[in-house]
Amino acid sequence: MQIVEGAGITVAVVTGACTGADFESALGADLRIAGADATFSSADVGDPVACARRLTQLLGEARAKEIVLGGRTVSAADALRLGLVTRVVPAAQLGEAARALAQGLRALPPLALRAVRDAVRATRELTPRDALALEHEHFRRLIATQDHKAAVAAFFARREPAFTGE
Amino acid sequence: MMGGNAHTRWWVDGPVGVIVLDNPPMNVLSDDNRRGIREALAEFRADGTRAVVLTGAGERAFCGGADLKEEEELTAETVGKFLQRGDETFRALREYERPIVAAVNGWAMGGGLVLALWCDVRVGSTRARLGAVGVKVGLMASNVQLSRLLFEGRARDLLLTGRTVEAEEAHRLGLLSSVVAPEALMGEALGWARDIAARPPDVVAALKRAVNTALDPVVAESHR
Repeated sequence: MQIVEGAGITVAVVTGACTGADFESALGADLRIAGADATFSSADVGDPVACARRLTQLLGEARAKEIVLGGRTVSAADALRLGLVTRVVPAAQLGEAARALAQGLRALPPLALRAVRDAVRATRELTPRDALALEHEHFRRLIATQDHKAAVAAFFARREPAFTGE
Repeated sequence: MMGGNAHTRWWVDGPVGVIVLDNPPMNVLSDDNRRGIREALAEFRADGTRAVVLTGAGERAFCGGADLKEEEELTAETVGKFLQRGDETFRALREYERPIVAAVNGWAMGGGLVLALWCDVRVGSTRARLGAVGVKVGLMASNVQLSRLLFEGRARDLLLTGRTVEAEEAHRLGLLSSVVAPEALMGEALGWARDIAARPPDVVAALKRAVNTALDPVVAESHR
């Protein structure tokens, strides 16, 4: 397993067996993709309780329990079905898929990207009302950014926008 | 009963109310739509309607989201009102006592996706395409609702990449409950609405409320 990064967003790129500390750091990444040969197991993680909580936040109760309670090894296809990873490609194409994903992230406006990541994280602990208030706070800030204006201008000019992070 | 304004039409079909967003070609969300949805729901409530179908006119879009031209003109002073108008509309869908079925007939992006996500059941045609595109224009939208519907793992994927989700994938993810041919979509949505309408309304209302609040941290606390 490898963690790659694009514009501050971390992506766990999983090939082969992903267990123990690897499994825990994969759960800590923002996104997870895998090769068709990948397998996952939560059986030998250092902190099983934290891992179970994290999985429940990521996947919901039913899917988290499917993974942690039986301690079974999860195939790449099952990981995709469960939402543990959001993309599976043939093992030989994994490197290219990871590069393309990181590149795609780098092409996005960085302030919005980080705001989305932080807001999704925070949503876990908030009531819907507070979560919406937080979303609005970000929106007010983002709508005044140069990058937003550049995106709108590019949309109307039908060209690719370039973002500066301002 | 029927009503409408420049960009919205609504009527009652037996126990089911129907709202159509009609702002071609992409049905971008206008103030007429925001107001129309609220007015329609108020009239349906008075009429005793038991379920609602919300859809977009034409085959291209369910709702293309915020009008970028309108958004471009927002200032620090007006952005608050803009967000509030959106919120009032989303809250009207959420808090309406009867279930609302979104018939996703084409693009649902940005604020249009938010609209679909605040409905209770979503069915789509094979032309349905969903996109949390906020990030692509340097903004954010649909965070809260996507995180609740999909949990964090999948919500992050869609929100951070802004990628397009085709009908089949949306079905697999659970964002669409069924996918049918474009010409069968209204029949499918009305079928869902009529099934809902045939059940005891108080029970249905209680169920909608229960699911709406089931994941709220404050409520969850007392059930641990």
